[in-house]
Amino acid sequence: MTPHRRIAITGVGMVTPVGNDAATTWRHLTEGRNGVAPITGFDARGFPARIGAEVKDFTDAPAIDPKLIKYAARAHRFALTAAEEAFTDAGIRPEPDTAHDWGCSVGAGMMGVSFSELEAVHAFCASEGEFRSQGLLDPRFPADPIAFCRSQTNTGLALLTRHFQIRGYATAVHTACASGGQALGTALKVMRRGRARFMLAGGYDSMLNPIGLAGFCLLGALSTDNDAPERASRPFDATRNGFVLGEGAGFLVLEDWDHARRRGARIYAEFAGDGNSLSSYRITDSHPSGDGPIQAMRQALDSAGLTPEAVDYVNAHGTSTLMNDRSECAALRVVMGAHIDRVAVSSTKSCMGHLIAAAGAVEAAVCALAIHHGIAPVNANHAKPDPDCAIQLVLGQSKPLRIRAAISNSLGFGGSNSCLAFRHPAEVAAA
Amino acid sequence: MNSTPHIVITGAGAVCAAGLGVEMIWEEILAGRSHITPIRSFDTAGWPVAIAAEVQGVDNRTLVEDRKLHKTISRTDLFGLFAAGAAIRQSGLPEFRQRLEAPAAATFDDRSGVFAGSGGGAYESNYEFFPLLTAAAGDLPKFGRELCDTVNPMWLLRHLPNNVVCHVGIRHKFKGTNACITNHCAGGAMAVAEAAHAVTFAEADRAVAIGHDAPIEPETILHFNRLGLLAGDTIRSFDQDRAGTVLGEGAAAVLLEREADARSRGATILGEFLGSGCVTEALGVLDLRPDGDGLSRAIELALADAGVPARSVGMIVAHGNGTRASDASEALALRRVFGDDPPPITAFKWSFGHLIAASGVVDVTLALNCLRQGIVPGIPTLRKVDPELPSLPVSATAQAPRGDSALVLCRGFGGMNVALLVRADPAAPSV
Repeated sequence: MTPHRRIAITGVGMVTPVGNDAATTWRHLTEGRNGVAPITGFDARGFPARIGAEVKDFTDAPAIDPKLIKYAARAHRFALTAAEEAFTDAGIRPEPDTAHDWGCSVGAGMMGVSFSELEAVHAFCASEGEFRSQGLLDPRFPADPIAFCRSQTNTGLALLTRHFQIRGYATAVHTACASGGQALGTALKVMRRGRARFMLAGGYDSMLNPIGLAGFCLLGALSTDNDAPERASRPFDATRNGFVLGEGAGFLVLEDWDHARRRGARIYAEFAGDGNSLSSYRITDSHPSGDGPIQAMRQALDSAGLTPEAVDYVNAHGTSTLMNDRSECAALRVVMGAHIDRVAVSSTKSCMGHLIAAAGAVEAAVCALAIHHGIAPVNANHAKPDPDCAIQLVLGQSKPLRIRAAISNSLGFGGSNSCLAFRHPAEVAAA
Repeated sequence: MNSTPHIVITGAGAVCAAGLGVEMIWEEILAGRSHITPIRSFDTAGWPVAIAAEVQGVDNRTLVEDRKLHKTISRTDLFGLFAAGAAIRQSGLPEFRQRLEAPAAATFDDRSGVFAGSGGGAYESNYEFFPLLTAAAGDLPKFGRELCDTVNPMWLLRHLPNNVVCHVGIRHKFKGTNACITNHCAGGAMAVAEAAHAVTFAEADRAVAIGHDAPIEPETILHFNRLGLLAGDTIRSFDQDRAGTVLGEGAAAVLLEREADARSRGATILGEFLGSGCVTEALGVLDLRPDGDGLSRAIELALADAGVPARSVGMIVAHGNGTRASDASEALALRRVFGDDPPPITAFKWSFGHLIAASGVVDVTLALNCLRQGIVPGIPTLRKVDPELPSLPVSATAQAPRGDSALVLCRGFGGMNVALLVRADPAAPSV
């Protein structure tokens, strides 16, 4: 088999519940600062879960055209600003003569229609009960073409490619909680296949609205520790009782390794491998044995040319649900074997909640920064060990650690599993 | 590249207004029958556009026999599962797997991929909250309190955009690499390209690629019409009187694997996948370049991927969605690539409407029939080719392909352009 093209991560951008840029997010994650609080974006007092990990005091990056922002839903705005940060950080962006060499791969959230738009349709078409399609024809109905544009499945992709003038391969994926990871995995594959020399890759989501919150409340998937929001997300703790819904965006600038080296770019890490599998078990349940995630992790290591023993840090999916955490630990034990007692594991969802379609992308950015700074971020809120989760968690505080390689898991409703592998740049010469 | 394996198609399935199964749809195309009819799924009294190509008179159990599943998936998923099941069955792979010993069967499952282009983003999914909105009467805390007593607990799962990926995995034991591409009209065509890449680059041994969508909803029709995208009577691709597109619904799927594998198990080969190209024009959600730049670049990429010259292309299935701007720019793109001698061109949307995320895949399945039977069907709604367009070999009556390969074009929101190149032996056994 021909050797893989090597891909460098040269830019990072984040908008998260613990920081509106990558540096703040990273500092707060390493400090174990918590981003969960009572929901402020709407009146959630009646919901079973009324806490969330909201992005706070968000402002769009000044470089984003306000005319474009009109077409952007909340998650798209996070995406544009995080992507702008990633490009600035990388010191490279599409130019007229390179626009065709740039691709874009995004993990996009599933929600397009705002609650107020839904209320308008309800008021005009269904306030009396039965849906009447004629209500939409009422001249007073606010049929807004801009709102229509905001609601399309690939709106975020369309806005990103337009704003940054990315004119090559472009794709949007949605596999629930695995979306961000799969978008990055797709980007890696597209680059290795020679379809793009540069990619903007990431994810964005915001389901912190009445309908999104309702969807997860109905499933009973959320922690209802409404009186102790900062402790509600406690992955791998024996008393965990559900995840905390978050929102945000994470983006990476991916660049051909040799190109990055030639221009003297700062390389956070090599984006070394991607694993992608389907559990094909049940739609929300994960197989207790870890079947599914096991294959994804093994593929990622194989794709990166890594042995399990070379992995020093795992950014776990670790949602803080009973089932995910147990199944993920089972999978980690199978894949890591005896090395499981030496590999540091943390779920940064303990601080920033679950960013759904953005989670995998943000957590990939966290892995790149963990390798770069030599720090494994803390798995916060862990008080009571769960014998079913006997892994070496980073407890108490973040841990200085030279990370040769890291992996990041994202496991979604519907059974899609993504695992991404990253290598320290200094290990590349040795590889 | 000589070392890359040949990728063949050994199964195809489809459902749309023109019929259940590729053969039935093909017969309707040859007979020149359009299935664009008055909308039945909602009351169109007073609506400026009241036609679509609905799948009518088909029982849900004909699409998916398992009635329990009907409660947890939506209409678009029924179509997708039907098409995927038909493609997988036709390939003969289930019987092949049944004969494998347990370890080989497990490997088979792990090496079977699922790629779907999913319409997602339905408006009507949110209408299930209307009774609750009525009861709450603007009181959001009440909405939250009564949520779990009013709305189906499975609401979120029923509307996951990645349901088809998930349930194809569960039903057919496909557990390998996967993606749910939510890139509007381009999704299905991209699923075919990604599935082919996954097999080419040994990420999977076989993969099913599906496109599915159910866009015929009042709100979608309202907005499409206000944006000037819809015709009131029919689709007249490349005609001087073309007035827009007509929405259709349905799904199509193809099963891709290595030629050597297909031959060794004696499978019927329906055609060969030769190459793909995918680019965006980076103009935002709705705009497209009048000069067809993105489409011609996608075609050039597909030809380069396949390693064949433009003159070798035997026929073209155009996107031909019937809007003024798309058809005009498509004509310019075709002339840019093929000069003044393009091969015979057709388009199929006049018969079963624009299937949005499914459109590219159904066109692939029909293109294989064209090549095998040596017929490029006419576009019966074409009365006078638009004299403003550069001259193209489009016709109301049938033409003959001038070679054994077909270019299939697919365009969508976000400035997306996808070109797929397939090949089939003439007069191969009929499906």
